[in-house]
Amino acid sequence: MSQQPLTTSVQPTETYGGDEVSALVLDPGYCSTRAGYAGEEMPRQVIPSFYGHIDGRDIFGDEVIVPRAGFEVRNYMNRDSVVEDWDAATKIWEHLLLKRLQPERPTPPNKNGLNIGDDGDVAMGDGDNNDENMVDNLEKPLAESPLLMTEAPWNSAKAREKAIEISMETWGCPAFWLSRTPVVASFAAGKATALVVDVGGANASVTAVHDGMVLKRSIQKSPIAGLWLSNQIRTMWEQNEPKVDLVPTFMVENKKPVEAGAPADARLRTFPFPIADSFRAFEEERLLTEFKESVVEVWRGPGRYMAPGNEDYARSQPGRVFEMPDGSNQMWREQRYKVSEGMWDETAAYASAGADEEGRVSKGQTILSLIKASLEGVDIDLRSNLIANIVVTGSTTLLNGFNDRLNMELAAMYPGLKIKVHAAGLTSERRFGAWIGGSILSSLGTFHQMWISKKEYDENGPGIVEKRCK
Amino acid sequence: MASHDLRDVLNLPSDHSAGPRPSKKQKTGTPRPNLKGLAREVQNLGGDNPIAIVPEVSIFKKRRIASRKPVTKWELKAFTNSARADDGALVLRHWKRKSEAETPSESVEDRGSQQPDGMAVDGERDTDKVDDSAFAKFNVRVAVPQYNEDQYHRNLQHNDWTKEETDYLLGLAEDYDLRWAIIWDRYDFTPKTAEIETDSNVSTAVFKPRSMEDLKARYYEVAAKMMAVQKAAQYMTGPEFELYETMQNFNPDQELRRKKFALETMSRSKDEAREEESLLLEIKRIMARTERFNEERRELYNRLDYPSTDSDINSFKSSAGLQTLLQNLMNVDKSKKRKSIIVPGAEAATPTTAVPGSAVSETAPPNNTNNSTSNRRESIAASVPGGGHRDSTAGTPATPVEPAAPNAANKKKGAAPPERRKLTEQEETIYGLMHHERLGSGPTFRYEKINKLYSHKSGQQQLRITNALAELDVPPRLAMPTAAVTAQFELLWAAVTSLVDLRKVCDKLDGEIKIEEAKKAERDKARGISGGDVKDKEQSGGKTKPGATSTSGEGRPGTKRPASSGGGDKLAAPRPSSSGTHKRSASVLSSTSDKSSKRQKK
Repeated sequence: MSQQPLTTSVQPTETYGGDEVSALVLDPGYCSTRAGYAGEEMPRQVIPSFYGHIDGRDIFGDEVIVPRAGFEVRNYMNRDSVVEDWDAATKIWEHLLLKRLQPERPTPPNKNGLNIGDDGDVAMGDGDNNDENMVDNLEKPLAESPLLMTEAPWNSAKAREKAIEISMETWGCPAFWLSRTPVVASFAAGKATALVVDVGGANASVTAVHDGMVLKRSIQKSPIAGLWLSNQIRTMWEQNEPKVDLVPTFMVENKKPVEAGAPADARLRTFPFPIADSFRAFEEERLLTEFKESVVEVWRGPGRYMAPGNEDYARSQPGRVFEMPDGSNQMWREQRYKVSEGMWDETAAYASAGADEEGRVSKGQTILSLIKASLEGVDIDLRSNLIANIVVTGSTTLLNGFNDRLNMELAAMYPGLKIKVHAAGLTSERRFGAWIGGSILSSLGTFHQMWISKKEYDENGPGIVEKRCK
Repeated sequence: MASHDLRDVLNLPSDHSAGPRPSKKQKTGTPRPNLKGLAREVQNLGGDNPIAIVPEVSIFKKRRIASRKPVTKWELKAFTNSARADDGALVLRHWKRKSEAETPSESVEDRGSQQPDGMAVDGERDTDKVDDSAFAKFNVRVAVPQYNEDQYHRNLQHNDWTKEETDYLLGLAEDYDLRWAIIWDRYDFTPKTAEIETDSNVSTAVFKPRSMEDLKARYYEVAAKMMAVQKAAQYMTGPEFELYETMQNFNPDQELRRKKFALETMSRSKDEAREEESLLLEIKRIMARTERFNEERRELYNRLDYPSTDSDINSFKSSAGLQTLLQNLMNVDKSKKRKSIIVPGAEAATPTTAVPGSAVSETAPPNNTNNSTSNRRESIAASVPGGGHRDSTAGTPATPVEPAAPNAANKKKGAAPPERRKLTEQEETIYGLMHHERLGSGPTFRYEKINKLYSHKSGQQQLRITNALAELDVPPRLAMPTAAVTAQFELLWAAVTSLVDLRKVCDKLDGEIKIEEAKKAERDKARGISGGDVKDKEQSGGKTKPGATSTSGEGRPGTKRPASSGGGDKLAAPRPSSSGTHKRSASVLSSTSDKSSKRQKK
């Protein structure tokens, strides 16, 4: 009753300051790459940034990653979420933006050659014109849509220039913009000034955003994110008593229910060809993700998990059962807290026996020290405002209790200040925060003056991206 | 047939039971809300009270009134954004409602604007025409001070900042719209010329990291100076000058101290924060309370403003005396009460209190005075202003008791002037209040006053003064003699006259010095020749005579006059009794001149 639907005569432009220009938004990350149309609330296409490589060609998408002979899984990014393999990146982005977002339309009847016998007198004039357009379109597949891309705040200048080069020259975008993830993530939360805590797949980063601009001195990042947590789980399983075998789903052909704690009773599949390590790792990651989603939790307090008495308390609480793909299952009680505790308390992290280069957490890598260091990199006058506008984004923050813990720790660290943690309630909004922000940004009417146009690119070269997208 | 019908026939007054009947009739007469789908009988069951059954209406939702208008069409329209820097090279397209009403008028406008090549068909032009984004108007940029090379070298030199770096700073300020947090964050100045330059001082000065205060201080310095260059401070408008002043008064040290303090408040604990908050609250409360307390105290003092009792009470012993006293007290009370209500400053304006000569008039209106008891009353009244304020008033000087000051003044002067609030200087200018000497009757002109000044002077002096004024481009008669102008002119005139006087004295002294020097030369000559040439001496004396007499003759009245005119009398004091080197020399000279004149007389 109170909220009346807008009539068609009232254009949303005037109401919300939006002005759709059918822009595309591309948000590449280490674990997944998101793409969709600006103005929509969710990305249309989300595919893993991992792609298959078989017989010298690359195949993209989640569904093609299946066990095959000579199949390798690669990622076009490095662990810092910076594009490393530009050929693959171009191909995967093209696959996303062209094949997936804009599925091929059937050729118009006057072009498909089936109507050739008809008298074409009238259509000829038009036809010429269209032919030209068609050629243009063939050459420049994205000639109609401006493209907004996101990037990690620590992205190198070279990578940025490469990105605009691809979009302008290879795809022929009429306009381009490169936006840093924390900025758009804070836009998604409806804030122009915020301290963005982004704990994603490969990286955790804390960045201060002031009036829609990243403060470079505040950028802090550490690898304590989803993949690190997966490694913690691996280590925890290895050290568990009895040891838990990590058998990915694709290996299991057949399983029988067993008692909790009992060894698995399953028949594994055998393949006539060797399974690449990268493929197995990718599949294992799926399993670990499931474990993270359903079991792992963040200790909410009081105090840290390692404080005396807390572990015993956690042990006495009801746990969660997790069934492995091979049927073995177990109740997880205190471990599910301990596994994630390293994010907050470097002493609590599992020290992996073999691979010590990733499992180690130093003092400065915990999320709180990131926040602290980030705040120290900005002007004093901004700090209290930033603390009152903390935006939490990234899918690893979806761990149960993450926000509670963050709130508690911040309150202990800055007792006199007002602390407000803004975390989107919807899972998808937290996962695709940066994409959603990009979608909002590129559909704003006031944003259109910001785009780097083709003409500007032609005049200034790829260096313009450094000048404009600050 | 009921009883009331009977009464009706018999014309008997109806008793109370008659009431309901006619009203019932009335009720049946009024149309009842006709509920549909309900039998009348059922409806009547309820009697007076309508039944609370809402009948179900089995009608379908009303059909939407379909508009006869055709479906609104939307079109993919190209547009540009004039806020962009690339002159409309980027043409984006968005969906716009195609409005029938707008198109014709637009095309008319088009025709008007595109008169020279207005050959194209309307429809075509509609598609060709690229309109500007509605959001372009939101593009607002800050104005950063501009300067050229020359201006920089003249005004903006700074030994800690090179021009290159200043340019860089201003460029950043423009890029980031003066968001200092970002400017400071992105500030990364690496001079291009520093490697070439061999001067190590420059490079060290340049490479040191700048704090935000440094950047702000430099920017404000540049901005303020350029503002002053473009428009002198006295011609700036109010807000401009305010901005100019704030930029000029930017104090980086104070900012730094503030930030340090802010940092400390950030690291305080929860208890401290709470304590501070409660203290602030307490202060606020105290402040509010003191205000009220002061108000109450003032009220109390006003009430306490009664005649003291230490005067002679014999006059009140008779009943008539008591009557007077009562009257007096009541009057005093009345006026006091009124006083507490009206603003203390306003009472001076009430005419009743402004009767001079009688002290009672301060408190009592004159028409209330009783003639027969006037001398007695005066005896009380004499004590009124004196005892009006008890010792307690004097004991609390901190509290501003407004009526106290005039009353005290009254006490000092006796009872003569009625109390009057003194205006501060500022208020005087606001109300345009002026003080000047008594004016004669009839209209007076301000320039007459100046003419009067002239008339006191001798003709020669008048001439000299006018000459001096002409030198200053000031007309002798003012074109626009406003009060301020005449006042200034008087000052100027006084200065000019004193200057003229001084020059006269100076001339005189010069002449005397010349004479004495000539004399001395003569004397030396005579001594050198060893008294040989007396004739010569006499001749030279004779030669000097006319000059000497002329100077002394001119000097005499000069020495007299300054003493009377008062401007330059110190310098020209003829008596040697005065002290000070300058004066002494003058007096010595004058005494010698006296001697010379005496000799001449001989």
